[in-house]
Amino acid sequence: MPMLDIKNLTLEMETGGTRVKALDRVNLAINSGEIRALVGESGSGKSLIVSAISGALPPQWHITADRMTWKGENLLTMRSDERREIMRRDIAVVFQHPIAAMDPSTTLGEQLEESIPNELVEGKLFWQRKQSRKRTAIGLVHKVGIKNHEHYLNAFPHQISSDIGQKFMIAMALVSQPDLLIADDPTRGMETTTKTKVLKLLTRLNQTKSLSILFVSHDLLAIANMAHTMTVLYCGQTVESGHMKHIRKRPLHPYTKALLDSAPSFRNDLPPKSYLPTLDGTIPTLQHVPIGCRLGPRCPRAQKQCVVTPAVRKVHDHSYSCHFPLHMDKL
Amino acid sequence: MINALSRYTILFTLTLLVLTILSFALIYMFPGDPLINLTGLVPQNDIQRDALIKQFKLDQSYPVQFYHYLQQLFLGNWGYSFISGQPLREEIGIAMPATFELSTYAMLVALVIGVPVGCYAGLKSYSATDYAINTASIFSYSFPVFWLALIFILVFSLEAGIAPLSGRISLLFEVPNVTGFILIDILLARDIDHALALKDAARHLVLPTLAIAMISTAAMIRITRRSVIDVMNSPFITAARSRGLSNRQIFMRHILRNALLATLPLMAIQVTTLITNAMIVETLFSWPGIGNWLINAINQRDYPALRIGVLAVSTMVITLTILIDIFNRLIDPSREKFERGTI
Repeated sequence: MPMLDIKNLTLEMETGGTRVKALDRVNLAINSGEIRALVGESGSGKSLIVSAISGALPPQWHITADRMTWKGENLLTMRSDERREIMRRDIAVVFQHPIAAMDPSTTLGEQLEESIPNELVEGKLFWQRKQSRKRTAIGLVHKVGIKNHEHYLNAFPHQISSDIGQKFMIAMALVSQPDLLIADDPTRGMETTTKTKVLKLLTRLNQTKSLSILFVSHDLLAIANMAHTMTVLYCGQTVESGHMKHIRKRPLHPYTKALLDSAPSFRNDLPPKSYLPTLDGTIPTLQHVPIGCRLGPRCPRAQKQCVVTPAVRKVHDHSYSCHFPLHMDKL
Repeated sequence: MINALSRYTILFTLTLLVLTILSFALIYMFPGDPLINLTGLVPQNDIQRDALIKQFKLDQSYPVQFYHYLQQLFLGNWGYSFISGQPLREEIGIAMPATFELSTYAMLVALVIGVPVGCYAGLKSYSATDYAINTASIFSYSFPVFWLALIFILVFSLEAGIAPLSGRISLLFEVPNVTGFILIDILLARDIDHALALKDAARHLVLPTLAIAMISTAAMIRITRRSVIDVMNSPFITAARSRGLSNRQIFMRHILRNALLATLPLMAIQVTTLITNAMIVETLFSWPGIGNWLINAINQRDYPALRIGVLAVSTMVITLTILIDIFNRLIDPSREKFERGTI
């Protein structure tokens, strides 16, 4: 059974009497110990899924789902304090903008220390506990690759660079020793060396502590090597999901193919100075989503049938939703 | 920090310099004899007049006169009231603390009521309670302060008779002026019944304080509420929530501090309104403060008093504003970086 299981998650927002579907029947399952990549363009609703899982959606969103469970417990019907317990112990989130996700008036050390759950603090008396908190914080900061802990624990969020911030967010997420880490674009805007370091850190955590990771990104290159499974999102619909290597070898959905084709390092046959293949048009805005398969107007293989939303079909572990999938003959 | 402090100092000094230039110009701009406007002394004959002109260097060029004027200001020779003949420094020394006292209490009431209520409204934003609090605050913010004070006098003093009409304290108590704050002076005074005197002073204080505080409290509520809502919508609160902190922890550790930090500069603006309101209310309650004193000076065409009174009031307002801003800078870590003042 998957650890986190989401089926047909729909998010709607009320705008002037009409309801806009930002997420349209999204499916996502994370097994324990796996790294799942969640990829999609900007505006495809990746961060919304993250907020929906972490329960941080603004109140104007209406959330419905056939199933949204964490280790068999229903997240949707849960009381808010139970939900908070789960967020404190089991699930940790690294948000997109690390500097904005930290309190500007508090030092990084204080914020890190307050995230330490009480049962992980040793000692009975308050100064012992304080010492213990401090030790844990320093240890964590070293673990995520920040050496100068004295300086950074006493710094305020505006004084640090965003990659240090990102590492701090990871440290804060790891502090409660979670089972699942949701990383919302943790390598955004980092230069390659730092990015590699962060990715290596995450891979190592996955291997040594069997931490499951939901890695949300639009950076295919970054996650292609570390992720085990991948879910592709387009405009609030899951188009394809399955094992990374299957998808890379034989994408079934035209959108996945276009996405992979647009990343030059996946293609050995690309002649020099040629144009990268891309789909025409852009991702539609939420007010003007097409009916049926939302890729429809941009899809090279679209036919009349595509005005009906395709059902999710499965070939082994590989699920896709398309009326006219690619590579069917080879399966 | 040193950079910022020196910038504030320069700003403060320059503003004061401009104010003193203005008040110096008033000597010549007010109708009548510049000598009388400056000193408040009326020379009895020409010999005396010449001596005074020499003494105040009025026969020399304007810059020299201004320099002399500045010197005298610093030395505390502010001239004499035209009407009472008292030294102005003493009169202002009595009137100014009275106003300051009244505004302090009003500010305290505004803070004690406004901040918690504003926080509550912000936390419960867009609920029925929030709308009720908002309506009430707009309602009380919309009262003109002079009208409100008159209604208070009519209802509580004249009709109900539960509060005295005017003044700071009943004439029965003889309280020597030491600090200028009536409540402290009562405690310092000897040979009076302290409990009785304090009770009497408090009864005198209630109405004017309430009249001023009504408006300031409403402003405080609205400022705090807005600030709390802004902070609650910021991503770090979402992040804190997703880390599983309880609502109480989030409020105490993250919302409150950030919300109050943001309200401080707005409070500095409120101080100006507060003092203006205090000056208006004091006239109606015959509170012996600077506002009442200035109005009397205007009525009696007491030009020396007007000149110095305006200078004193504006100095107080500027000092308070700058002090609050410096305080805000000291406690707000994110304002550490060098930034230019903007309007």
